[in-house]
Amino acid sequence: MRAALLIAAKDLRERLRDRTALIVAVIAPFGLAAILGTVIPSGDGSLDLRYAIADADGSPVSTAFLEGPLAGLSDAGIAEITPVDGADAARAAVDDDEADAAFLIPAGFGEASRGTAAAEIELITRADASIAGQIGQSVAEQFAAELDAVRLSVVAAVAAGGVPPDPDEIARLASSAAEASSEPPPIVVEVASTEVAEVDSRTYYAASMAIFFLFFTASFGPLSLLNERRQGTLARLVAAPIHPWAIVLGKSLGSFILGIVATGVLVVASTLILGARWGDPFGVAVLVLAAVTAASGITGLVTTLARTEQQADGLNSIVAVTLAVLGGTFIPLSQAPEILGQIGLITPHAWFLDGLDELAVPASGIGAVLLPTGVLLLIGLVTGAIGLVRARRLVVTR
Amino acid sequence: MADADRSSGGEDTGMTSTEATEPVLVAENLRKSYGERIAVDGVGFNIGPSETYGLLGPNGAGKTTTISMICGLLVRDGGSVTVDGRAIDVGQASAKGAIGYVPQDLAIYPELTARENLRFFGQLYGIGGRELPKRMDEVLEIIGLADRADERTDQFSGGMKRRLNIGIGLLHRPRLLVLDEPTVGVDPQSRNAILSSVETLSEQGMAILYTTHYMEEAERLCDRVGIIDEGKIRAEGTRRELVGLIGERDRVSLTVSGSAAEAATALRAIDGVDEATPHEGGVTLLVVEARNLLPRILEVATQAGASVGGVEIVEPDLEAVFLHLTGRALRD
Repeated sequence: MRAALLIAAKDLRERLRDRTALIVAVIAPFGLAAILGTVIPSGDGSLDLRYAIADADGSPVSTAFLEGPLAGLSDAGIAEITPVDGADAARAAVDDDEADAAFLIPAGFGEASRGTAAAEIELITRADASIAGQIGQSVAEQFAAELDAVRLSVVAAVAAGGVPPDPDEIARLASSAAEASSEPPPIVVEVASTEVAEVDSRTYYAASMAIFFLFFTASFGPLSLLNERRQGTLARLVAAPIHPWAIVLGKSLGSFILGIVATGVLVVASTLILGARWGDPFGVAVLVLAAVTAASGITGLVTTLARTEQQADGLNSIVAVTLAVLGGTFIPLSQAPEILGQIGLITPHAWFLDGLDELAVPASGIGAVLLPTGVLLLIGLVTGAIGLVRARRLVVTR
Repeated sequence: MADADRSSGGEDTGMTSTEATEPVLVAENLRKSYGERIAVDGVGFNIGPSETYGLLGPNGAGKTTTISMICGLLVRDGGSVTVDGRAIDVGQASAKGAIGYVPQDLAIYPELTARENLRFFGQLYGIGGRELPKRMDEVLEIIGLADRADERTDQFSGGMKRRLNIGIGLLHRPRLLVLDEPTVGVDPQSRNAILSSVETLSEQGMAILYTTHYMEEAERLCDRVGIIDEGKIRAEGTRRELVGLIGERDRVSLTVSGSAAEAATALRAIDGVDEATPHEGGVTLLVVEARNLLPRILEVATQAGASVGGVEIVEPDLEAVFLHLTGRALRD
């Protein structure tokens, strides 16, 4: 093991002095992640909704809607709420793309909530802002349901001979009813559900570029075996009083460490500079370790299929790009045809990105990435084992 | 006596210095084939302490394959190798520590400095602590790179790289140093420095296996030479033994004015002159130890009335031996 560590340390020293390694391992993936994450919008992966609200009622009940559910959306950073004057202004805001949706609270809304007629909130949405429409509808319906429950109770009480309550009291009751509900507010559930699906684009491209370039970084070790064979130093290593396995392990260990360090640097740099949100650090660390294992295994196997360094370099590039495309590195699989999503599951890239999606769920941890981690480790160990056996044949000349 | 049949290690080689000493290297009946092609066919020889053994043969003769098996780089088809009493094989890691291997390629890391190269290989050979820097300094002095030790080797000249290549093989003070054509592509100055280093190491007690296709190097360095061709050792022995295979006589050509025939007759009478053949303008003689006999030859020729205008001595060499044994020149 000491010999393997010496070889790994020597390889790392060589790589650090070779600037191309630094470019491939860190600079290129970070640069591309920065460009793609900035240029390509987040799509449905990030919620930044804009609502206009025209409150023609101005009653305590409509105020309760504004200061209750809508203020909650605003406080959560999910939506920007802009009051406008009248229904026409609200419609114009939606038409002019100044708002994704608009709430219209008609005059008499508060009064209606005291009577037997249903109180109505109108929601105007655009066809290309379905998320805003769905969330807005959900919020409005929930409020209406709570309000309706209170109203029916009031009507029943009046019918039984009671005194009609003050509108302020109805609003207070409606708010209390919503707050008292043991279930979390629906909008919170909806938003959380949306974030489960995908990470934001900056995180996505930081992660996808990290694993894409990881396949090039991980190939340094196996390629250096062929390089050493070409330049004659491999013979010198074999002539040394060390076991041939130490050479193979040392080469693998060197690129494994380089892969972990490079990906770690990318995670930290993209978090601090690009604002990427990778999720639970422990879960990310486990996922990165598994991804590096998979990349090392595959590149190790592919490299040993070649006879020369140039051949191996070409083969590794083909495999890296093919797996990246199939694995949703450039285009998220959620936006690709379903069949591509199924095919993508054979790639480490898809499992790595899927693991990060799991980690994007609030309060998720390592438990959320057990499956992706397991699959990545399985891929890495199976391909790596075959690659190691084949690499030993490169070392021991027959 | 030197001939092909005696190449399978262990027999008397005519070297009195090693007869009573346990050999450092014993290689026996080494065989290696690649498909139908036989690369090495029953090669064997011994090397004693302080002895420099040369494997002389043209490119493709089987020299590198032989030493690859000796150093445990190559899985052999048959035969055995022991160094310092321990069997050598590809998987026999610890026994390889007795060998210092200097490959024909420049087996150094270009991104590392000379000192870093030495340190890495020194550590692989288990040298550590304060001993390692001390030995590194020693080797750097020997190879003349002490003042360039902290420069990256990709900045070195070919000769400097070649010297470092040898230095790495010396670092762990091996019992057997194996040099595979160490002067290929080296300038004359560096070449001379390398040959001097090998001579010094031999004097210090190191057993050396030296492969070359340069006859002059084999003649200068080697106590014994094995002439290898087409995977077989064709003959083995000291230079004198090998030359003896083709008749150990020197050829002396005298340019004379006067009667060449009379001079030839007089010269035949000298003890040690086997033949004296007159021809127009001179006499050609076949003699034993021409350089010792030359004053007497000149004296007799002059007494016979011939005026000697020029002398050329041609001693038989390993090139001639190789030609005699294989029918081909060494560098064909």
